Amino acid sequence: MKLDTTVPQRFVVPIGPQHPALKEPGHFEFTVDGEQVTGASVRLGYAHRGIEKATEGRNWVQNLYLLERICGICSHVHATAYCLGVERLAGVTAPPRAQAIRLLVAELERIHSHLLWLGVAAHEAGFDTLFMYSWRDRETVMDILEALTGNRVNYSANLLGGVKFDLTPELTDKIYKGLELLEERTHQYVDVVTSDATLLQRTRGVGATTREQAEELGLVGPTARASGVERDIRTEAPYAAYPDFPVQVVTATAGDLEARFVVRLQELFEAYRLIRAVLEKLPPGDLQARMPRKIKPAETVSRVEAPRGELFYFIKSNGTDQPERIKVRTPTLCNLASVCVLAIGSQLADVPMILAGVDPCFSCNDRMVTVYSGDTAHTQWTWKQLRQYGIDYYRR
Amino acid sequence: MDTQEALKSAETLLTDYPSTRPEENRLDVTLAPENLSAVVSNLVAARWGYLMAITGLDQLALDQLEILYHFGAGAAVLTLRILLPRTPIPSVESICPIIPYANVYERELGEMFGVEFRNSPNTDRLFLPDDWCSDVYPLRKDAVLNEE
Repeated sequence: MKLDTTVPQRFVVPIGPQHPALKEPGHFEFTVDGEQVTGASVRLGYAHRGIEKATEGRNWVQNLYLLERICGICSHVHATAYCLGVERLAGVTAPPRAQAIRLLVAELERIHSHLLWLGVAAHEAGFDTLFMYSWRDRETVMDILEALTGNRVNYSANLLGGVKFDLTPELTDKIYKGLELLEERTHQYVDVVTSDATLLQRTRGVGATTREQAEELGLVGPTARASGVERDIRTEAPYAAYPDFPVQVVTATAGDLEARFVVRLQELFEAYRLIRAVLEKLPPGDLQARMPRKIKPAETVSRVEAPRGELFYFIKSNGTDQPERIKVRTPTLCNLASVCVLAIGSQLADVPMILAGVDPCFSCNDRMVTVYSGDTAHTQWTWKQLRQYGIDYYRR
Repeated sequence: MDTQEALKSAETLLTDYPSTRPEENRLDVTLAPENLSAVVSNLVAARWGYLMAITGLDQLALDQLEILYHFGAGAAVLTLRILLPRTPIPSVESICPIIPYANVYERELGEMFGVEFRNSPNTDRLFLPDDWCSDVYPLRKDAVLNEE
């Protein structure tokens, strides 16, 4: 993976850090021989905020809000992984109704994330019409999320020990109606991505990953499932309400970009089915169980299936109201390294598509540490100042 | 494979080392750093799960750094734990020759905790900026950061 710049007659093409294909920062260097890529390297950290370190100085409740902000696309899965882990450490189980609502929001989030990806990938392929249609339809699920939680991103549905929001009959109606529209549109998208000649030229056979390669590269999520690896935490280690609402894993065998399009779109149908099942059989009862403020020393591993694949949390408590250590491993880190391998041998023009094909999320990837050097004094706020600003703002 | 069966087969593979069962679905095995490569090779040869993550833990009170290699097979989680002295820069054999994709995890751990991975194909920085001071490892407990 390391870039060999000592070999002569090679041309290095830097891509990034300003939006390499996607509107997020990451830096790649590709060595090319003519149009063909012969080597690749990756450098991350441009959206690095120091979150893992910051968790060690905040209490369990504050961390929920901090960790939810790791990612603007899949914020709910971060909060869910954290809550489930902390609840296990504290020996608390959230009530069944709360677990079902966690699942519901997680699947709504998956719909929004996959539709977002469809638009981005279509845009990378130069198919802007598909991009605009898919993002228009994505507004349906964004409206549902907003009606349910009050927020379009960082829904803040989770609490330690449960959830904040309940479903009302009006909301349920709204969700059913939204799903009906989305389901009809998704059929159309499946048709487009498997039959549009121009799009297929950009996707069929491009960036193909065999099952063996996928396992060797440690791929996760839809990227792995498109290569026939049946890896999905929702079925392997069901959490929240997934034991009661089992998931049918969607896989494909081709492993190329087309297969990744198809797998993500088929997962949308699975999400629609799960959401309807939850709405029909929503367990009655409380929304939150009581949580202790301090947690005895222990360690736990919490894994959930984010839209991009397995999200891994390692949480260690030390008997206080603050964690000793929280380690987050996001699915993008597993998938991104594969780009450097898969890009080799392909055309340079296909690289943005191959990169988009793993559905990378850079802000998920880059967490930790407030970094600062140089002159910052007058614009940088300390945590205390920021906190005070927040308190003053909401008192007004 | 069933979770308990998976953990049993891991126990059989690792009988020579002290192990605990901290949770129902987890097995923790403590290794001497020099045994790490051999154990990881055995796991890979037996096709036991896949490497999910590598976590660093700073045990400041013990003056040691702990490295946790988490492997997953279904719901079963196997953690290989090794302890290294905190100073001078601890050094451990890279597992990249056995699991190539471990490289990004090792690079992250190396820069955040100050651990040297011997025989790694790439030890460049992954997340930290190029002008980050070379002797500050931000996730160590005693790292001084200008947060306040």
